[in-house]
Amino acid sequence: MANSAAVATPKEGVYTDSVVRLFSLAAVLWGVVGMLVGVIIAAQLTWPELNLGISWLSYGRLRPLHTNAVIFAFGGCALFATSYHVVQRTCQTRLFAPGLAMFTFWGWQLVILAAAITLPLGINQSKEYAELEWPIDLLIAVVWVSYAIVFFGTVGIRKVRHIYVANWFFGAFIIAVALLHIVNSAAIPVDATKSYSAYAGVQDAMIQWWYGHNAVGFFLTAGFLGMMYYYIPKQAERPVYSYRLSIVHFWALIFTYMWAGPHHLHYTALPDWTQSIGMIFSLVLLAPSWGGMINGIMTLSGAWHKLRDDPILKFLIVSLSFYGMSTFEGPMMSIKTVNALSHYTDWTIGHVHSGALGWVGMISMGSLYYLIPKLFGQKQMYSVKAIETHFWIATIGIVLYIAAMWIAGVMQGLMWRAVNPDGTLVYSFVESVKATFPYYVVRLCGGLLYLSGMLIMAWNTVMTVRSGKAVLAPIPPVNATLAHA
Amino acid sequence: MYPATAVTSDPALAVLDDPAEFGGCTRWLVDGQGRRVAETVLQLSGMYCAACSGLIEQALRRVDGVRAVVVSAATERATVCWDPQATRPSALVRAVQAAGYGAVPDAAAPARALRRLAHRQALWRLFVAAFCAMQVMMLATPSYVAGPGELEPEMRQLLNWGSWLLSLPVLAFSAGPFFSGAWKALRARRIGMDVPVALGVAITFIASTGATFSPEGVFGHEVYFDSLTMFVSFLLGARYLELGARHRAAEALEASMARLPETAWRVQPDGGTEAVSLHRLQPGDLLRVPVGQAFPADGVLEQGHTRADEALLSGESAPVDKPPGAAVVAGSTNLGAPVLMRVQRLGGDTRLEAIVSMMRSAMAQRPASAALADRWASPFLWAVLVLAAGAAAVWSVIDPSRAIWVAVSVLIVTCPCALSLAAPATLVAAARGLARRGVLLQRLDALERLARVQQVFFDKTGTLTEDRLQLRALRLSVAGHAELGDAARAQALAAALAAWSSHPLSRAVVDAQAGVVPRAGVDALEGWVGLQEIAGQGVQAFDPQGRLWRLGSAAWAGHGEACRAEADSGDAQVVLSCDGRALAALDFEETLRPGTEAALQALQQAGVRVTLLTGDAPARAAALAQRLGVQDVRARATPEDKLAAVTQAQREGRCVAMVGDGINDAPVLARADVSLAMGQGALVSRSQADAVIGSNHLGDLVRAWHTAQHTVRIVRQNFIWAGSYNAVSIPLALAGYLPPWAAGLGMAVSSLVVIANALRAAR
Amino acid sequence: MESLYLLIPLSAGLVLAIIAVFGWALHKGQFDDLEAEGARILQDDAAPVDADQYKFEPAREQSRVLKTPRS
Repeated sequence: MANSAAVATPKEGVYTDSVVRLFSLAAVLWGVVGMLVGVIIAAQLTWPELNLGISWLSYGRLRPLHTNAVIFAFGGCALFATSYHVVQRTCQTRLFAPGLAMFTFWGWQLVILAAAITLPLGINQSKEYAELEWPIDLLIAVVWVSYAIVFFGTVGIRKVRHIYVANWFFGAFIIAVALLHIVNSAAIPVDATKSYSAYAGVQDAMIQWWYGHNAVGFFLTAGFLGMMYYYIPKQAERPVYSYRLSIVHFWALIFTYMWAGPHHLHYTALPDWTQSIGMIFSLVLLAPSWGGMINGIMTLSGAWHKLRDDPILKFLIVSLSFYGMSTFEGPMMSIKTVNALSHYTDWTIGHVHSGALGWVGMISMGSLYYLIPKLFGQKQMYSVKAIETHFWIATIGIVLYIAAMWIAGVMQGLMWRAVNPDGTLVYSFVESVKATFPYYVVRLCGGLLYLSGMLIMAWNTVMTVRSGKAVLAPIPPVNATLAHA
Repeated sequence: MYPATAVTSDPALAVLDDPAEFGGCTRWLVDGQGRRVAETVLQLSGMYCAACSGLIEQALRRVDGVRAVVVSAATERATVCWDPQATRPSALVRAVQAAGYGAVPDAAAPARALRRLAHRQALWRLFVAAFCAMQVMMLATPSYVAGPGELEPEMRQLLNWGSWLLSLPVLAFSAGPFFSGAWKALRARRIGMDVPVALGVAITFIASTGATFSPEGVFGHEVYFDSLTMFVSFLLGARYLELGARHRAAEALEASMARLPETAWRVQPDGGTEAVSLHRLQPGDLLRVPVGQAFPADGVLEQGHTRADEALLSGESAPVDKPPGAAVVAGSTNLGAPVLMRVQRLGGDTRLEAIVSMMRSAMAQRPASAALADRWASPFLWAVLVLAAGAAAVWSVIDPSRAIWVAVSVLIVTCPCALSLAAPATLVAAARGLARRGVLLQRLDALERLARVQQVFFDKTGTLTEDRLQLRALRLSVAGHAELGDAARAQALAAALAAWSSHPLSRAVVDAQAGVVPRAGVDALEGWVGLQEIAGQGVQAFDPQGRLWRLGSAAWAGHGEACRAEADSGDAQVVLSCDGRALAALDFEETLRPGTEAALQALQQAGVRVTLLTGDAPARAAALAQRLGVQDVRARATPEDKLAAVTQAQREGRCVAMVGDGINDAPVLARADVSLAMGQGALVSRSQADAVIGSNHLGDLVRAWHTAQHTVRIVRQNFIWAGSYNAVSIPLALAGYLPPWAAGLGMAVSSLVVIANALRAAR
Repeated sequence: MESLYLLIPLSAGLVLAIIAVFGWALHKGQFDDLEAEGARILQDDAAPVDADQYKFEPAREQSRVLKTPRS
């Protein structure tokens, strides 16, 4: 379909997918790496000997490497890839400042590399999900601002007047993360690898968890909801169940998210009333979250049979069920009475991983499975059976993981608060640790399964890339052929 | 041969190109090269499948000069960008029609744009109020959950300042309509619904502001920004829902109105005719009026002799003779022959006018119950204000720090939201339910009167009967038997002749033959010559044997014994003759609308008096009344007579409903307590009536009556609920047991209950 | 709880900014004809590139580029 426009200036008539390609492949790579580190630290918790006496392989240093790798490297690259893809397709224009977009790729990889080096070396700010020291924080800020410029610039030069709902979620995610990062990472540097937080004590705790929870809310939820609202309709070939509801969902979520942070700090030095607010608004959050879940799942209404044969759809829809589960479990756990049992136990870990493995992991995998073949001129992944296998292995892995952690968590909570009639504790801490051992084994098995699934995905991706080639995707003419269905 | 003159859509299409016609649905834009392009919105019809929008788009795109097309299947509209140098609107409509669909100018576009604007404003106010309310609630929660002494004064100050700041947009912007409504009411020296709302909001804000900036001051230290913002959000939410319901009703009305523009044929000085839009007519214009078309204006016949159907005007179903020089009335139909008329007066009965004014009134209409409610509400509201002031006075003695808050609670809790919503919400829901079933309610409070109706006056022609005649019987004379053999053959022959005439009686003959398979030879009039329609008389032709056959009035075609028998019935009669000998007489009768008998029986069985009021001949009226089982008949009634009948019934203390369709019914419709117009009726009746029976099925009238009673019951329930709620909560507020937030919550819940109950009326 | 002296003004400012964004979206017609927009992503996007992109400026309104016709 050569015509004067396409041949004379091919760069103008096609989408900027090179950076999408790079980020997609990076997501798969970092997924493997991050989950591998996760499996290692799970093994170390089970068998502490595996710390091997080497400082940079110790649990304390590998854990932040794991969290940063899965959230920012795997999740982050998946978000970059999909947001760049979606914003172009829904605005029917190439990226604004493609050069800057490429910079965001290399900049982000540099951030990841820096994390991979500094964290095992123990260079750590000691703030959860914000461990990276100040030079890397600055780099993150620069990359993030560039990201914002590219994304909003693309929306600004759009050829379609309406801004598709997914872009609203992506946009909110980008702005929120920028705000959270800048406020929380405010620090006074001492030297190249050391700084002190601008906030101290319980004030720092409040700001940290204001960041922490909103990072979950905007990075891990809003961003991936953007992914969901595009890739589920595309894969199911049906429009979102109620587009109106998706808009309401967005605004309702924005309404309520900012105040849920304190629920991480129940029964700490934080004032009681602050904790109470955190609890109340975490409960309020339940409604908009479930609205979004129902909207996504019901998109398949009238076409449930597609779930039978399409493993990608399985990933996407099942991810929403885990989303629903986590957004129910979360508010429950933020109730003070429940939290009195669950705080500091493995139940919290179970909750995090049902959200991370179930929601974030699966929606990313489903979206990447949709996206990667298209980026390489293929109709589908090299092996669809492998996708199916991945799905089942991953699901079983998740179930083993969270079941193990629930049981362990509740058990720990009960053991720690068991009191003798005379007021002494029934169990010593070490006894609860011993009792947890078998559950750590099961959790390790779950994690191993999940990692295996990821390895299958990596293999599938490599085979797909090898048998395909990078394609130039043309931008269609606007309006003359469009009909409102 | 001379084909039956059918009024095709083509003249109307030509008129579409007149800017006066398509201007209402077109915007002018400038493209990238600086050329002027037009963007026209067309209302589509006949779309039944998902592929239809694609087909219509393709059809439109194929028209030269069309730059872009967007078809919305959901709203059944096509937006077309076209180059005025290359094409015209008539080409667009023709293209859609060629594809098998209908397209008319979307005359309602301006009204829709107005509605969209109103909707946006309402949503904007609501969003600002609700969003700020949510945030203010978050900032207020610490004060509620913190134990005594836990919250440092500085922290409390910070939270209050934040709440104050976020309440400003709500007060200044979102609550605007309440303040302006209250101000307007006060200026008119009334107490409207908005007055206590505005007062409550203003006092709460001022007192809370005082408490924020000087906690030691007279307003105390309690702030109620959360109640304030929540209260405003809730009221705006209720108004938003009501607005949506009203707009949906207006859209339902519009959908039934979309038509091609009306045209007139104006004779030019050189003798040629041009099709012009009715807007362009002026007194003194000479118009050519073809057979079958309505006279576009009041005027006088200049050339030609015809008959006019003035049923819409007088109820008289027999055509009126119009010789040259006779006056003709706008809206009557030309039956006999093409004529030339001179325009004298242009009536207000143009369709576009009616649409626009109906739309404006539907939109601007605050449910009339608001006016109604205001009447009895005024004393109630006075009482509320007095109570609130009194409470403040009393409490300023008992415990001054609470005085203001008790007064505010009284104002808020008595906010007659439930009371003000009780009737309108129910009526709007009922209107929607009725609209779905084909009865378009134009005045909501008519429902309340409909429920009380004791006597219904029915017009006959066009209301109980359709405006078509039907063939009742064909009687052969002896000669007819001999010549034609059987009635079927006579009917077939008559139909073949009648096909060449557009006279309503001819159409009835043709309709009676529909479905009968034509037989070759006779039925197709093969070999017949000299076929022509004689104005005012009938159709004649020569058969292959050279005999003159006539189908027409008895005086012209020929008498015979068969014809005499039914002559006194007054029904129209047509004779089929051959060479002057009557072979068959065809009798016609009016067609009853389907469901009429059942509807009238139902009404009478329910105890409602039914009266037939008609301008038609007594014999015809009596015959129909007998068919329907109605005892009370007034025939040959002029509009004055009809008016007198209705007034008399009202003086006797009965609540009266009138169902009519013609122009002559308009004054009576205005007088009756409840007026209903048939969907096919004259526009002036439809626009005046309280309700339009769009389906033209009288069973829907009965259903509307039942709905009205159901609705009134629900309204009563709502009032009882709202009243009890007030009766319980006012003493509590006066006694100081109801803090403002609880008052706001109570008001919210009670309003929700009323709305939920109101929705039952839609079923 | 001194950190709230930062967080509360921040969130108040954020609220005003969010309201402004919503107002912009509403008045620019982002919330018109929602169901059609939801289905738009499913339309075939493999059509050939056409040089004539639809881009009209309204004659009466100044300098506002019309991106898709309002229907």
